[in-house]
Amino acid sequence: MTAPTFEEAQRELEQIVERLERGDVGLDELSTLWERGEELYRVCAEQLSAAQGRIEELAQRAEER
Amino acid sequence: MKVEATEVEGRRVYSVRAFNQGVATWLQRLPTVWVEGEVTELRRQARWASVFFTLKDPESGACLSAQMPRGTFDALRLDLGDGERVHVYGRPELFEQRGDFRLRVLSIERYGVGAHLAALERLKQRLAAEGLFATERKRPLPRMPRLVGLVTGNDAAAKRDVLTGIVQRFPPANVIVAETYVQGPRAAVTVTTAILDLCARGVDVIVLARGGGSFEDLLPFSDERVVRAVAGCPVPVVSAVGHEQDTPLCDLAADVRASTPSAAARLVVPDLGELRSRLDRARGALDRNARRTCARHADRVERAHERLRRAPLLALERKRARLDKAHGRLLALSPRATLERGYAIVRAGDAIVRTPPPAGTAIAVDVAEGTFGARVE
Repeated sequence: MTAPTFEEAQRELEQIVERLERGDVGLDELSTLWERGEELYRVCAEQLSAAQGRIEELAQRAEER
Repeated sequence: MKVEATEVEGRRVYSVRAFNQGVATWLQRLPTVWVEGEVTELRRQARWASVFFTLKDPESGACLSAQMPRGTFDALRLDLGDGERVHVYGRPELFEQRGDFRLRVLSIERYGVGAHLAALERLKQRLAAEGLFATERKRPLPRMPRLVGLVTGNDAAAKRDVLTGIVQRFPPANVIVAETYVQGPRAAVTVTTAILDLCARGVDVIVLARGGGSFEDLLPFSDERVVRAVAGCPVPVVSAVGHEQDTPLCDLAADVRASTPSAAARLVVPDLGELRSRLDRARGALDRNARRTCARHADRVERAHERLRRAPLLALERKRARLDKAHGRLLALSPRATLERGYAIVRAGDAIVRTPPPAGTAIAVDVAEGTFGARVE
């Protein structure tokens, strides 16, 4: 399975949060889902930081030019 | 005047002077008439008593010398140009000393504006019917031309105005200037050739510029060849010919009409300063938008994460609440509640007593607060 795109990860994370908040989740599924959510959050946050870094870098380079 | 001939060997012979005098006298009997033609070779000098010119038949090229007193000519203030069509009022005359025949001119009227106008109107109707002036034919001008072609007179103010305007607005502009006649009989051909030539040299847009002038001066810009060259030009044409009120046909055929040469310059090139600041603004917006998009995504992810962190506890609490509720209902169903109301449960051994046991049987009695033993009497 390929790594999810940012949008896919974000969508799945939000779906998990909604399911958990609705409360129709089995007890044994609860922790699995929560772990999956944390994993997705990490994926999103990393991709965001990378994008932000690239923008800063390009802006910097454009300034220097 | 009596012309005398001498008898020489049986012939009547006239002297040249007498012959010229005779013809001159005879010519004087001819009536004063109007003659139509084009003025050419106009010669006028302040120290001369007369003005001289040649009247030319535009169709056949036949010529007639003409002479007019300078004072009369100047008083008419006609400001005649070469090739202008006139009506001349005069009578034939022989300049006796030289035997030159010519027209002694009494008056001149500029002629042909009416005839030209009618011909022009017919041409306009015909070209309009062909669709040469149709709005849907008009093309937009290039936003930033790589090469501008300028067709104009060789020392015209129009040329200076266009070039100055272009360079002021857009210093890096490339312009090819094609200098042509802008009035007179050769103007139409040179303008037409210049348009084709500029196209061949790869211009993106052509400016046709000529300052104001008389109706006749502007006529070449209504010439069918010029109008067709403008309409058929593969690149857009801006026409800035004459003043606002003049509408030569090339103005109608052009893609854009400019009221003045300076206005034409503003139309063909963008303002570099404005272009720069627009680019800068776009760049700034690009930067801001990229950052804003990033921040918006980050916000959304953080909000989801916040909710995710609270979600398991929330889910557990909800489960506990449900459990407690079920427990409550379970409790309500247990016998203890009945004992609280004063009832007792009597057991003999493991069995609950439902029929009176024999005397002496040991029993246990459960009440709300506890259990005690007893013996049946």
